[in-house]
Amino acid sequence: MYNLLYKEFRLAIHPLYYFLPVIFGALMLIPQWFFFLVPLYFCFITVPQLFSMYKSNNDLEFSIMMPVRKSDIVKARILSIIILELFQIVWCVIFALINRSLYKYGNFAFDLNAAYFGLVFVMFALFNIILFPIFYQTAYKFGVAVIISIVAAIGFALSAELLVMFNERFRMVVEGKPGPQLIILAAGMVLFVLSAIAAYKISVKNFEKVDV
Amino acid sequence: MAILSIDKLNKRYEKFHLKDVSLSLDKGYIMGFIGINGAGKTTTLKSMLNMVHADSGVVQILGKDYTDHEIELKKEIGLMFGDMQYYEKMRVKVVTDVIKRFYPNWDDAVYDDYCRKFNIDQEKKISELSQGMKAKYNLALALSHNARLFILDEPTSGLDPAARDGLLEIFQKLVEDGEKSILFSTHITSDLEKCADYITYIHEGEIIASATKDDFIDSYKLVKGSEDQLEAEIGLRKKLIACKTNKFGFSGLMKTADCEERDGLTIEAPTLEEIMIYYAKKESAHV
Repeated sequence: MYNLLYKEFRLAIHPLYYFLPVIFGALMLIPQWFFFLVPLYFCFITVPQLFSMYKSNNDLEFSIMMPVRKSDIVKARILSIIILELFQIVWCVIFALINRSLYKYGNFAFDLNAAYFGLVFVMFALFNIILFPIFYQTAYKFGVAVIISIVAAIGFALSAELLVMFNERFRMVVEGKPGPQLIILAAGMVLFVLSAIAAYKISVKNFEKVDV
Repeated sequence: MAILSIDKLNKRYEKFHLKDVSLSLDKGYIMGFIGINGAGKTTTLKSMLNMVHADSGVVQILGKDYTDHEIELKKEIGLMFGDMQYYEKMRVKVVTDVIKRFYPNWDDAVYDDYCRKFNIDQEKKISELSQGMKAKYNLALALSHNARLFILDEPTSGLDPAARDGLLEIFQKLVEDGEKSILFSTHITSDLEKCADYITYIHEGEIIASATKDDFIDSYKLVKGSEDQLEAEIGLRKKLIACKTNKFGFSGLMKTADCEERDGLTIEAPTLEEIMIYYAKKESAHV
Protein backbone atom coordinates (compact mmCIF):
# COMPACT_ATOMS: atom_id res chain seq x y z
CA MET A 1 0.00 0.00 0.00
CA TYR A 2 2.84 2.36 0.88
CA ASN A 3 4.37 1.74 -2.57
CA LEU A 4 1.09 2.65 -4.24
CA LEU A 5 0.86 5.82 -2.19
CA TYR A 6 4.41 6.64 -3.26
CA LYS A 7 3.31 6.05 -6.88
CA GLU A 8 0.41 8.48 -6.41
CA PHE A 9 2.64 11.29 -5.18
CA ARG A 10 5.65 10.59 -7.42
CA LEU A 11 3.93 9.71 -10.70
CA ALA A 12 0.20 10.34 -10.69
CA ILE A 13 -0.09 13.77 -9.06
CA HIS A 14 1.63 16.62 -10.86
CA PRO A 15 3.61 18.90 -8.49
CA LEU A 16 1.33 21.80 -9.51
CA TYR A 17 -1.38 20.25 -7.36
CA TYR A 18 0.77 20.55 -4.24
CA PHE A 19 1.06 24.26 -4.95
CA LEU A 20 -2.53 25.04 -5.94
CA PRO A 21 -3.93 24.65 -2.39
CA VAL A 22 -1.66 27.55 -1.38
CA ILE A 23 -3.00 29.74 -4.20
CA PHE A 24 -6.59 28.75 -3.46
CA GLY A 25 -5.97 29.29 0.25
CA ALA A 26 -4.82 32.85 -0.48
CA LEU A 27 -8.34 33.59 -1.76
CA MET A 28 -9.23 33.69 1.94
CA LEU A 29 -7.71 37.16 1.94
CA ILE A 30 -10.52 38.61 -0.19
CA PRO A 31 -12.50 40.81 2.17
CA GLN A 32 -16.20 40.03 2.48
CA TRP A 33 -16.71 36.91 0.39
CA PHE A 34 -18.42 33.53 0.24
CA PHE A 35 -15.52 31.61 1.73
CA PHE A 36 -16.99 28.18 0.97
CA LEU A 37 -15.87 28.88 -2.58
CA VAL A 38 -12.23 28.44 -1.52
CA PRO A 39 -12.35 24.70 -0.69
CA LEU A 40 -14.84 24.29 -3.54
CA TYR A 41 -12.10 25.35 -5.99
CA PHE A 42 -10.32 22.17 -4.96
CA CYS A 43 -13.38 20.21 -6.09
CA PHE A 44 -13.84 22.31 -9.26
CA ILE A 45 -10.24 22.26 -10.48
CA THR A 46 -7.87 19.88 -8.71
CA VAL A 47 -10.06 16.78 -8.64
CA PRO A 48 -11.24 16.74 -12.30
CA GLN A 49 -7.70 17.53 -13.46
CA LEU A 50 -6.23 14.70 -11.40
CA PHE A 51 -8.78 12.17 -12.64
CA SER A 52 -8.17 13.27 -16.20
CA MET A 53 -4.43 12.71 -15.73
CA TYR A 54 -4.95 9.26 -14.21
CA LYS A 55 -6.89 8.33 -17.32
CA SER A 56 -4.51 9.80 -19.89
CA ASN A 57 -1.53 8.13 -18.21
CA ASN A 58 -3.26 4.72 -18.11
CA ASP A 59 -2.76 4.73 -14.37
CA LEU A 60 -5.26 1.95 -13.80
CA GLU A 61 -3.49 -0.43 -16.18
CA PHE A 62 -0.15 0.52 -14.64
CA SER A 63 -1.36 -0.13 -11.10
CA ILE A 64 -3.13 -3.39 -11.90
CA MET A 65 0.09 -4.82 -13.37
CA MET A 66 1.94 -4.31 -10.09
CA PRO A 67 1.80 -7.04 -7.46
CA VAL A 68 -0.89 -5.34 -5.38
CA ARG A 69 -4.43 -5.98 -4.21
CA LYS A 70 -7.25 -4.18 -5.98
CA SER A 71 -8.39 -2.87 -2.58
CA ASP A 72 -4.96 -1.30 -2.03
CA ILE A 73 -5.22 0.55 -5.35
CA VAL A 74 -8.47 2.11 -4.09
CA LYS A 75 -7.04 2.80 -0.64
CA ALA A 76 -3.98 4.60 -2.00
CA ARG A 77 -6.06 6.69 -4.38
CA ILE A 78 -8.59 7.78 -1.73
CA LEU A 79 -5.86 8.41 0.82
CA SER A 80 -3.84 10.55 -1.60
CA ILE A 81 -6.85 12.74 -2.42
CA ILE A 82 -7.75 13.03 1.27
CA ILE A 83 -4.19 14.12 2.05
CA LEU A 84 -4.53 16.82 -0.62
CA GLU A 85 -7.89 17.87 0.85
CA LEU A 86 -6.34 18.17 4.29
CA PHE A 87 -3.46 20.11 2.77
CA GLN A 88 -6.04 22.45 1.23
CA ILE A 89 -7.79 22.85 4.61
CA VAL A 90 -4.48 23.59 6.37
CA TRP A 91 -3.74 26.42 3.92
CA CYS A 92 -7.30 27.69 4.33
CA VAL A 93 -6.73 27.81 8.11
CA ILE A 94 -3.44 29.68 7.69
CA PHE A 95 -4.99 32.31 5.40
CA ALA A 96 -8.13 32.47 7.53
CA LEU A 97 -5.96 33.43 10.50
CA ILE A 98 -4.29 36.12 8.41
CA ASN A 99 -7.74 37.31 7.27
CA ARG A 100 -8.92 37.56 10.87
CA SER A 101 -5.90 39.60 11.86
CA LEU A 102 -6.15 41.89 8.82
CA TYR A 103 -9.84 42.77 8.82
CA LYS A 104 -11.60 44.04 11.91
CA TYR A 105 -15.17 43.35 10.79
CA GLY A 106 -16.93 40.02 10.51
CA ASN A 107 -17.91 38.59 7.13
CA PHE A 108 -21.30 39.37 5.56
CA ALA A 109 -21.71 35.66 4.76
CA PHE A 110 -20.27 32.68 6.72
CA ASP A 111 -17.52 33.89 9.04
CA LEU A 112 -14.09 32.27 9.15
CA ASN A 113 -14.30 30.38 12.42
CA ALA A 114 -14.21 26.85 13.84
CA ALA A 115 -17.81 26.14 12.74
CA TYR A 116 -16.92 27.13 9.18
CA PHE A 117 -14.08 24.60 9.13
CA GLY A 118 -16.35 21.97 10.71
CA LEU A 119 -18.77 22.45 7.83
CA VAL A 120 -15.88 22.39 5.31
CA PHE A 121 -15.05 18.91 6.64
CA VAL A 122 -18.71 17.93 6.18
CA MET A 123 -18.65 19.30 2.63
CA PHE A 124 -15.58 17.21 1.76
CA ALA A 125 -17.17 14.19 3.47
CA LEU A 126 -20.20 14.57 1.19
CA PHE A 127 -17.97 15.11 -1.86
CA ASN A 128 -15.87 12.00 -1.17
CA ILE A 129 -18.74 9.63 -0.41
CA ILE A 130 -20.27 10.45 -3.78
CA LEU A 131 -17.13 10.80 -5.92
CA PHE A 132 -15.23 7.58 -5.16
CA PRO A 133 -18.01 4.96 -5.15
CA ILE A 134 -19.41 6.25 -8.47
CA PHE A 135 -15.95 6.48 -10.04
CA TYR A 136 -15.06 2.93 -9.01
CA GLN A 137 -18.09 1.53 -10.80
CA THR A 138 -15.90 1.75 -13.91
CA ALA A 139 -12.54 2.97 -12.53
CA TYR A 140 -12.01 5.13 -15.62
CA LYS A 141 -15.17 7.19 -16.34
CA PHE A 142 -14.95 10.15 -14.00
CA GLY A 143 -17.30 12.73 -15.57
CA VAL A 144 -20.55 11.72 -13.89
CA ALA A 145 -18.84 11.06 -10.53
CA VAL A 146 -17.18 14.49 -10.56
CA ILE A 147 -20.32 16.38 -11.66
CA ILE A 148 -22.64 14.78 -9.09
CA SER A 149 -20.15 15.19 -6.24
CA ILE A 150 -19.47 18.84 -7.15
CA VAL A 151 -23.21 19.62 -7.38
CA ALA A 152 -23.70 18.04 -3.95
CA ALA A 153 -20.82 20.03 -2.46
CA ILE A 154 -22.14 23.28 -3.99
CA GLY A 155 -25.62 22.51 -2.69
CA PHE A 156 -24.25 21.99 0.80
CA ALA A 157 -22.06 25.13 0.73
CA LEU A 158 -24.89 27.25 -0.67
CA SER A 159 -27.28 26.07 2.04
CA ALA A 160 -24.76 26.91 4.76
CA GLU A 161 -24.10 30.39 3.35
CA LEU A 162 -27.83 31.16 2.84
CA LEU A 163 -28.72 29.92 6.31
CA VAL A 164 -26.14 32.20 7.88
CA MET A 165 -27.40 35.16 5.90
CA PHE A 166 -31.12 34.63 6.37
CA ASN A 167 -31.57 32.55 9.53
CA GLU A 168 -30.64 34.48 12.63
CA ARG A 169 -30.86 31.46 14.95
CA PHE A 170 -28.42 29.49 12.78
CA ARG A 171 -26.09 32.49 12.68
CA MET A 172 -26.19 32.70 16.46
CA VAL A 173 -25.07 29.07 16.73
CA VAL A 174 -22.27 29.11 14.15
CA GLU A 175 -20.96 32.58 14.92
CA GLY A 176 -21.75 32.77 18.64
CA LYS A 177 -19.92 31.14 21.55
CA PRO A 178 -16.87 28.95 20.83
CA GLY A 179 -18.43 25.86 22.47
CA PRO A 180 -21.00 25.05 19.76
CA GLN A 181 -18.47 26.03 17.08
CA LEU A 182 -15.94 23.52 18.42
CA ILE A 183 -18.63 20.84 18.59
CA ILE A 184 -19.44 21.49 14.92
CA LEU A 185 -15.72 21.28 14.08
CA ALA A 186 -15.30 17.98 15.94
CA ALA A 187 -18.47 16.54 14.41
CA GLY A 188 -17.28 17.61 10.95
CA MET A 189 -13.95 15.87 11.45
CA VAL A 190 -15.64 12.68 12.64
CA LEU A 191 -18.00 12.74 9.65
CA PHE A 192 -15.04 13.31 7.31
CA VAL A 193 -13.28 10.20 8.65
CA LEU A 194 -16.44 8.07 8.62
CA SER A 195 -17.22 9.16 5.06
CA ALA A 196 -13.68 8.25 3.93
CA ILE A 197 -13.99 4.77 5.45
CA ALA A 198 -17.43 4.23 3.89
CA ALA A 199 -16.25 5.60 0.52
CA TYR A 200 -13.32 3.18 0.62
CA LYS A 201 -15.47 0.17 1.47
CA ILE A 202 -18.11 0.85 -1.19
CA SER A 203 -15.47 1.72 -3.80
CA VAL A 204 -13.59 -1.54 -3.17
CA LYS A 205 -16.84 -3.48 -3.58
CA ASN A 206 -17.53 -1.71 -6.86
CA PHE A 207 -13.96 -1.99 -8.14
CA GLU A 208 -13.76 -5.74 -7.47
CA LYS A 209 -16.47 -6.21 -10.12
CA VAL A 210 -14.62 -4.16 -12.74
CA ASP A 211 -12.84 -5.89 -15.64
CA VAL A 212 -9.75 -3.81 -16.38
CA MET B 1 7.63 -29.09 -14.43
CA ALA B 2 4.88 -26.80 -15.70
CA ILE B 3 5.61 -23.19 -14.81
CA LEU B 4 2.19 -22.21 -16.10
CA SER B 5 -0.93 -24.25 -16.54
CA ILE B 6 -4.36 -23.03 -17.52
CA ASP B 7 -7.30 -25.37 -17.24
CA LYS B 8 -10.67 -24.70 -18.86
CA LEU B 9 -10.68 -20.92 -18.62
CA ASN B 10 -14.03 -19.44 -19.62
CA LYS B 11 -15.12 -15.87 -20.05
CA ARG B 12 -18.34 -14.89 -21.74
CA TYR B 13 -18.98 -11.46 -23.20
CA GLU B 14 -22.02 -10.42 -25.14
CA LYS B 15 -20.37 -11.02 -28.51
CA PHE B 16 -17.36 -13.11 -27.60
CA HIS B 17 -16.81 -16.28 -25.65
CA LEU B 18 -13.51 -17.63 -24.38
CA LYS B 19 -14.25 -21.34 -24.38
CA ASP B 20 -12.43 -23.85 -22.16
CA VAL B 21 -8.99 -22.42 -22.80
CA SER B 22 -6.33 -24.83 -21.55
CA LEU B 23 -2.58 -24.80 -22.03
CA SER B 24 0.57 -25.77 -20.20
CA LEU B 25 4.07 -24.34 -20.43
CA ASP B 26 7.15 -26.03 -19.00
CA LYS B 27 10.24 -24.40 -17.52
CA GLY B 28 12.82 -23.26 -20.02
CA TYR B 29 10.60 -22.94 -23.06
CA ILE B 30 9.06 -20.25 -25.23
CA MET B 31 5.44 -20.66 -26.17
CA GLY B 32 3.97 -18.64 -28.99
CA PHE B 33 0.35 -17.78 -28.44
CA ILE B 34 -1.06 -17.03 -31.85
CA GLY B 35 -4.33 -16.06 -33.39
CA ILE B 36 -5.74 -13.31 -35.57
CA ASN B 37 -6.84 -9.98 -34.12
CA GLY B 38 -9.86 -10.52 -31.88
CA ALA B 39 -9.25 -14.27 -31.50
CA GLY B 40 -9.01 -13.91 -27.71
CA LYS B 41 -5.26 -13.69 -27.02
CA THR B 42 -5.34 -10.61 -24.78
CA THR B 43 -8.60 -11.71 -23.13
CA THR B 44 -6.94 -15.02 -22.24
CA LEU B 45 -3.90 -13.29 -20.77
CA LYS B 46 -6.02 -10.80 -18.84
CA SER B 47 -8.37 -13.52 -17.58
CA MET B 48 -5.52 -15.70 -16.39
CA LEU B 49 -4.04 -12.71 -14.53
CA ASN B 50 -7.36 -11.81 -12.90
CA MET B 51 -7.45 -8.45 -14.66
CA VAL B 52 -10.80 -9.52 -16.02
CA HIS B 53 -12.93 -11.94 -14.06
CA ALA B 54 -13.02 -15.36 -15.64
CA ASP B 55 -16.36 -17.15 -15.34
CA SER B 56 -14.59 -20.42 -14.57
CA GLY B 57 -11.23 -22.14 -14.88
CA VAL B 58 -8.06 -22.75 -12.91
CA VAL B 59 -4.71 -21.04 -13.44
CA GLN B 60 -1.58 -22.38 -11.77
CA ILE B 61 1.76 -20.64 -11.85
CA LEU B 62 4.87 -22.28 -10.36
CA GLY B 63 2.56 -24.99 -9.05
CA LYS B 64 0.40 -22.58 -7.03
CA ASP B 65 -3.17 -21.53 -7.61
CA TYR B 66 -3.04 -18.02 -9.05
CA THR B 67 -6.23 -16.73 -7.44
CA ASP B 68 -5.05 -17.76 -3.97
CA HIS B 69 -1.48 -16.47 -4.36
CA GLU B 70 -1.99 -13.57 -6.77
CA ILE B 71 0.30 -11.00 -5.12
CA GLU B 72 3.09 -13.48 -4.42
CA LEU B 73 2.97 -14.90 -7.96
CA LYS B 74 2.78 -11.52 -9.66
CA LYS B 75 6.23 -10.80 -8.22
CA GLU B 76 7.51 -13.80 -10.21
CA ILE B 77 5.98 -12.60 -13.47
CA GLY B 78 7.39 -10.17 -15.98
CA LEU B 79 4.43 -8.59 -17.70
CA MET B 80 4.47 -6.65 -20.91
CA PHE B 81 1.47 -5.44 -22.82
CA GLY B 82 2.80 -4.13 -26.11
CA ASP B 83 0.11 -1.61 -26.90
CA MET B 84 -0.11 -0.01 -23.48
CA GLN B 85 2.01 2.93 -22.47
CA TYR B 86 2.11 4.44 -19.02
CA TYR B 87 3.33 7.74 -17.71
CA GLU B 88 4.89 8.60 -21.04
CA LYS B 89 5.97 12.07 -19.97
CA MET B 90 7.94 10.87 -16.99
CA ARG B 91 11.65 10.14 -17.03
CA VAL B 92 12.80 6.54 -17.19
CA LYS B 93 14.59 6.81 -13.85
CA VAL B 94 11.47 8.14 -12.10
CA VAL B 95 9.24 5.35 -13.41
CA THR B 96 11.87 2.79 -12.45
CA ASP B 97 12.16 4.31 -8.98
CA VAL B 98 8.42 3.77 -8.52
CA ILE B 99 8.22 0.29 -10.02
CA LYS B 100 11.22 -1.23 -8.22
CA ARG B 101 9.61 -0.62 -4.82
CA PHE B 102 6.91 -3.18 -5.62
CA TYR B 103 9.41 -6.01 -6.03
CA PRO B 104 11.33 -7.35 -3.04
CA ASN B 105 13.66 -9.27 -5.39
CA TRP B 106 14.65 -6.14 -7.27
CA ASP B 107 18.35 -5.98 -8.11
CA ASP B 108 19.75 -2.54 -9.00
CA ALA B 109 22.98 -3.99 -10.35
CA VAL B 110 21.08 -6.24 -12.79
CA TYR B 111 18.90 -3.30 -13.86
CA ASP B 112 21.91 -1.04 -14.47
CA ASP B 113 23.59 -3.82 -16.39
CA TYR B 114 20.61 -4.38 -18.72
CA CYS B 115 20.12 -0.65 -19.23
CA ARG B 116 23.76 -0.35 -20.28
CA LYS B 117 23.40 -3.36 -22.57
CA PHE B 118 20.17 -2.02 -24.12
CA ASN B 119 21.45 1.58 -24.21
CA ILE B 120 18.53 2.91 -22.19
CA ASP B 121 19.14 6.50 -21.17
CA GLN B 122 17.75 7.03 -17.65
CA GLU B 123 17.29 10.74 -18.23
CA LYS B 124 15.01 10.32 -21.24
CA LYS B 125 11.27 10.54 -20.99
CA ILE B 126 9.42 7.32 -21.80
CA SER B 127 7.82 9.04 -24.81
CA GLU B 128 11.29 9.80 -26.20
CA LEU B 129 12.13 6.09 -26.42
CA SER B 130 11.52 4.34 -29.72
CA GLN B 131 9.08 1.40 -29.79
CA GLY B 132 12.02 -1.00 -29.71
CA MET B 133 13.63 0.81 -26.80
CA LYS B 134 10.35 0.82 -24.89
CA ALA B 135 10.09 -2.94 -25.34
CA LYS B 136 13.68 -3.32 -24.14
CA TYR B 137 13.03 -1.04 -21.17
CA ASN B 138 10.03 -3.15 -20.17
CA LEU B 139 12.18 -6.24 -20.50
CA ALA B 140 14.92 -4.67 -18.38
CA LEU B 141 12.30 -3.99 -15.68
CA ALA B 142 11.00 -7.55 -15.79
CA LEU B 143 14.51 -9.02 -15.74
CA SER B 144 15.63 -6.90 -12.81
CA HIS B 145 13.05 -8.33 -10.44
CA ASN B 146 14.09 -11.87 -11.30
CA ALA B 147 10.86 -12.84 -12.99
CA ARG B 148 10.61 -16.52 -13.82
CA LEU B 149 7.65 -16.36 -16.15
CA PHE B 150 7.36 -13.72 -18.83
CA ILE B 151 3.93 -12.96 -20.22
CA LEU B 152 4.34 -10.77 -23.22
CA ASP B 153 1.37 -9.54 -25.20
CA GLU B 154 2.36 -8.52 -28.73
CA PRO B 155 5.86 -7.44 -27.63
CA THR B 156 7.13 -7.16 -31.19
CA SER B 157 4.21 -5.35 -32.80
CA GLY B 158 5.24 -1.97 -34.14
CA LEU B 159 8.93 -2.84 -34.16
CA ASP B 160 11.14 -2.72 -37.23
CA PRO B 161 12.65 -6.04 -38.42
CA ALA B 162 16.06 -5.35 -36.84
CA ALA B 163 14.56 -4.44 -33.46
CA ARG B 164 12.29 -7.51 -33.66
CA ASP B 165 15.19 -9.78 -34.39
CA GLY B 166 17.19 -8.25 -31.54
CA LEU B 167 14.33 -8.83 -29.13
CA LEU B 168 13.87 -12.43 -30.24
CA GLU B 169 17.54 -13.11 -29.58
CA ILE B 170 17.11 -11.74 -26.07
CA PHE B 171 14.11 -14.04 -25.54
CA GLN B 172 16.14 -17.05 -26.64
CA LYS B 173 19.01 -16.15 -24.30
CA LEU B 174 16.54 -15.66 -21.47
CA VAL B 175 15.31 -19.24 -21.47
CA GLU B 176 18.76 -20.75 -21.96
CA ASP B 177 19.28 -21.43 -18.25
CA GLY B 178 16.19 -23.65 -18.24
CA GLU B 179 14.61 -21.76 -15.34
CA LYS B 180 12.61 -19.10 -17.13
CA SER B 181 9.74 -19.42 -19.58
CA ILE B 182 8.02 -17.06 -21.97
CA LEU B 183 4.42 -16.97 -23.10
CA PHE B 184 4.45 -14.70 -26.05
CA SER B 185 1.29 -13.64 -27.86
CA THR B 186 1.58 -12.34 -31.37
CA HIS B 187 0.09 -12.37 -34.81
CA ILE B 188 3.51 -11.94 -36.42
CA THR B 189 4.11 -15.62 -36.95
CA SER B 190 7.55 -15.25 -38.52
CA ASP B 191 8.81 -14.27 -35.05
CA LEU B 192 7.69 -17.60 -33.72
CA GLU B 193 9.24 -19.58 -36.57
CA LYS B 194 12.52 -18.19 -35.23
CA CYS B 195 12.20 -18.68 -31.51
CA ALA B 196 9.15 -20.58 -30.25
CA ASP B 197 9.35 -24.12 -28.90
CA TYR B 198 5.60 -24.50 -28.51
CA ILE B 199 2.65 -23.03 -30.33
CA THR B 200 -0.80 -22.49 -28.93
CA TYR B 201 -3.28 -21.45 -31.54
CA ILE B 202 -6.48 -19.70 -30.53
CA HIS B 203 -9.35 -19.08 -32.90
CA GLU B 204 -12.67 -17.45 -32.03
CA GLY B 205 -12.00 -17.91 -28.32
CA GLU B 206 -11.17 -21.61 -28.62
CA ILE B 207 -7.80 -23.34 -28.51
CA ILE B 208 -7.40 -25.17 -31.83
CA ALA B 209 -4.07 -26.72 -30.88
CA SER B 210 -1.32 -26.48 -28.29
CA ALA B 211 1.76 -28.48 -29.24
CA THR B 212 5.44 -28.23 -30.07
CA LYS B 213 6.02 -26.00 -33.06
CA ASP B 214 7.07 -28.91 -35.27
CA ASP B 215 4.13 -31.10 -34.25
CA PHE B 216 1.79 -28.19 -34.79
CA ILE B 217 3.06 -27.52 -38.30
CA ASP B 218 3.21 -31.26 -39.06
CA SER B 219 -0.44 -31.64 -38.14
CA TYR B 220 -1.46 -29.59 -41.19
CA LYS B 221 -0.80 -29.94 -44.89
CA LEU B 222 -1.16 -27.49 -47.69
CA VAL B 223 -2.81 -29.20 -50.65
CA LYS B 224 -2.60 -27.74 -54.14
CA GLY B 225 -4.15 -28.89 -57.38
CA SER B 226 -6.31 -27.92 -60.31
CA GLU B 227 -9.89 -26.82 -59.99
CA ASP B 228 -11.02 -29.96 -61.83
CA GLN B 229 -9.32 -32.12 -59.21
CA LEU B 230 -11.11 -30.20 -56.47
CA GLU B 231 -14.43 -31.03 -58.07
CA ALA B 232 -13.52 -34.57 -59.19
CA GLU B 233 -11.95 -35.90 -56.00
CA ILE B 234 -14.81 -37.12 -53.86
CA GLY B 235 -14.79 -35.70 -50.36
CA LEU B 236 -11.71 -33.53 -50.95
CA ARG B 237 -13.49 -30.20 -50.48
CA LYS B 238 -15.10 -31.44 -47.27
CA LYS B 239 -11.76 -32.28 -45.76
CA LEU B 240 -10.26 -28.89 -46.47
CA ILE B 241 -10.38 -26.47 -43.54
CA ALA B 242 -10.53 -23.67 -46.09
CA CYS B 243 -9.43 -23.24 -49.66
CA LYS B 244 -8.55 -20.55 -52.13
CA THR B 245 -9.24 -20.95 -55.82
CA ASN B 246 -8.02 -19.00 -58.82
CA LYS B 247 -7.60 -19.67 -62.51
CA PHE B 248 -4.50 -21.79 -61.88
CA GLY B 249 -6.27 -24.11 -59.47
CA PHE B 250 -6.84 -24.35 -55.76
CA SER B 251 -4.81 -24.46 -52.59
CA GLY B 252 -6.26 -25.48 -49.26
CA LEU B 253 -5.34 -26.40 -45.71
CA MET B 254 -6.07 -29.84 -44.42
CA LYS B 255 -5.39 -31.76 -41.23
CA THR B 256 -2.53 -34.22 -41.84
CA ALA B 257 -4.72 -37.02 -40.49
CA ASP B 258 -7.24 -36.36 -43.28
CA CYS B 259 -4.61 -36.11 -45.96
CA GLU B 260 -3.84 -38.99 -48.29
CA GLU B 261 -1.67 -39.08 -51.39
CA ARG B 262 -3.70 -38.51 -54.50
CA ASP B 263 -2.52 -38.38 -58.06
CA GLY B 264 -1.71 -34.95 -59.29
CA LEU B 265 -2.11 -33.16 -55.97
CA THR B 266 0.83 -31.31 -54.46
CA ILE B 267 1.13 -31.68 -50.73
CA GLU B 268 3.35 -29.25 -48.84
CA ALA B 269 4.09 -28.29 -45.26
CA PRO B 270 2.37 -25.00 -44.46
CA THR B 271 3.92 -22.09 -42.58
CA LEU B 272 2.39 -20.84 -39.33
CA GLU B 273 1.10 -17.85 -41.23
CA GLU B 274 -0.63 -20.04 -43.80
CA ILE B 275 -2.34 -22.04 -41.06
CA MET B 276 -3.59 -18.83 -39.51
CA ILE B 277 -4.75 -17.39 -42.82
CA TYR B 278 -6.73 -20.49 -43.79
CA TYR B 279 -8.43 -20.61 -40.39
CA ALA B 280 -9.34 -16.93 -40.76
CA LYS B 281 -10.70 -17.73 -44.23
CA LYS B 282 -12.81 -20.52 -42.79
CA GLU B 283 -14.31 -18.03 -40.37
CA SER B 284 -15.10 -15.49 -43.08
CA ALA B 285 -16.65 -18.23 -45.24
CA HIS B 286 -19.15 -18.81 -42.43
CA VAL B 287 -20.12 -15.16 -42.17
